[in-house]
Amino acid sequence: MDPKISEDSSSEIMFMELALDHAKEAMSRLEVPVGCVIVEDGKVIASGSNRTNETRNATRHAEMEATDILLKQWQNSGLTQSEVSEKFSNCVLYVTCEPCIMCAAALLFLGIRAVYYGCANDKFGGCGLILSLHESNSKQASSSAVGQGKNFKCTGGIVASEAISLLRSFYEQGNPNGIYSHNDLLH
Amino acid sequence: MGLQNLQWGIIHVSDKQPSRDEPTTVDVFASKIEPKLANTLVRHLCQIAPLEDLRHVKRVRKTSVGGKIELSVILCTVIDCENHEDMPSGVLEIVSTYQLRPYLTNVSKFAASSREEWEEQCKLWPTSYHPQTQIIDGITEFSEEDSQLIFNHMNIVIGLTKMRCLGNQVVNAAIIMDPVTQQIIASGTDQTCSLLADGKQCNWELTHCSRQAEISFEFNHALGCSGDLFPEGSCSESIENTGSYNHVSCLNPWSWMEQKAHAQNSIMVDNGSTTKWHPLGHATLVAIENAASRDRRLYPVEQLETSIARVPVKRQKTQNSDDEEEHTPEAVTNGLTPEATRPYLCTGYDIYIAWEPCTMCAMALVHQRIRRIFYAFPNPNAGALNSIHRLQGEKSLNHHYSVFRILLDEKNS
Repeated sequence: MDPKISEDSSSEIMFMELALDHAKEAMSRLEVPVGCVIVEDGKVIASGSNRTNETRNATRHAEMEATDILLKQWQNSGLTQSEVSEKFSNCVLYVTCEPCIMCAAALLFLGIRAVYYGCANDKFGGCGLILSLHESNSKQASSSAVGQGKNFKCTGGIVASEAISLLRSFYEQGNPNGIYSHNDLLH
Repeated sequence: MGLQNLQWGIIHVSDKQPSRDEPTTVDVFASKIEPKLANTLVRHLCQIAPLEDLRHVKRVRKTSVGGKIELSVILCTVIDCENHEDMPSGVLEIVSTYQLRPYLTNVSKFAASSREEWEEQCKLWPTSYHPQTQIIDGITEFSEEDSQLIFNHMNIVIGLTKMRCLGNQVVNAAIIMDPVTQQIIASGTDQTCSLLADGKQCNWELTHCSRQAEISFEFNHALGCSGDLFPEGSCSESIENTGSYNHVSCLNPWSWMEQKAHAQNSIMVDNGSTTKWHPLGHATLVAIENAASRDRRLYPVEQLETSIARVPVKRQKTQNSDDEEEHTPEAVTNGLTPEATRPYLCTGYDIYIAWEPCTMCAMALVHQRIRRIFYAFPNPNAGALNSIHRLQGEKSLNHHYSVFRILLDEKNS
């Protein structure tokens, strides 16, 4: 099912613009320009951007970077696993590009409340275009673990044009390391 | 007990659903032709309108009507054109030159995987079938020797799933192998719960197994790892019936939330610092990070190379001090420059995983460019390579791996 297209309320635009700042920062580090912020009670509590080239770990997408910051912080302050899970269930993610299949599954496992994204990801999209993982949870409802059955609300198309033009200019400039082909670059 | 006593098997997990809802045929334009024109026309058509994705389909069909031989040839596929006025101009030219009368028909979309399927296909339009030299996604079937190595590697993984620190609990485990050098590049076990993230025994077991593995490669058919190799009970069939698989992260991706408070406290005391559990610390993601960290260590970024993209110095230092023994980079000992030998992500590597990976892990392996995946047990809850999804068949993805399931004969274990 296609994700709902947002009517761009002002706070959504504001958070997405912060996410875009992180995407631009990734671009300056010669990474695929995708950025995100995580919001709790109307406040940004973490941010992240792509680090796949630097880490040589192609799973280090913006979403993974941002959620890892929170995990570390919450573990250090002694939260138990169920408290961490409670925390994630109050978090909303703003990311410039639709989460890929891996990240959509990860966000589902973390039990995040909602995801707002900029442009769609027509190659790897995990929130509608390729797979609709954010609403796939009914399949697993039979097993009875805590937190299961929580799908996240997913809204696309917020400040999408800016996210697209960032990715496009990244493709056009090409990869300085010459490792990636253009097709590989989409987050 | 030697491995040769076990009856194991390797089956290819296809990228296509066995019961296909999608169309299994492709529409094409064909035409009857004069037999004497066959050579000329086929040569032309193969240049103007090659049947790229239909290599198994024969260009010409020969039928015998009342003892008279009739030939038909495929002009082009219907994907190229809506109706026959829109056919590629070269094809139209041939049609008018030879006064052909194109008609619409269909051919099988996929190469046959069995003789029965092939016979069925040929009723539509003849295809070719090669049972002897059947290619599996570009990789030929396994020789006796290769199979033995594959079983050895899976044996190591099965050994890793059994964590002694957890009683009879088992976890998922993975190793990433370079099939050329038979070297273990990295390994990982589930780290989703604090109990799993701790435990020197587990780490000890890993190094022990790796060392055993190296020895076993030298002695060829020797066992990968000593001691009890198999998780207790029957893992492949009765996953839901026993409690001992609760900690297999890919089977229960939400089980990290249920961690008991007392278990966590005991870890806090033992370590005196922070715990290492991670809700997304599935064996596959752990193995990928270990492979990436090995790569950063063996092939450090050159100073002159795009300075902004390089790994911060502080980060490199911590990693090096963690692994005192592995200080000599392979690239240097081989006398090759790092640029010449540095692999791109996990290109060309294989991963062995006890349980079929979940969607997150399966997609992570696409990103990291793994070549082949071998798993032993299906994952009916969340498996993404056969059970729930079939990522290897998602055409839009930019990388595709081959997937194999290893069947274990548990009677002998």
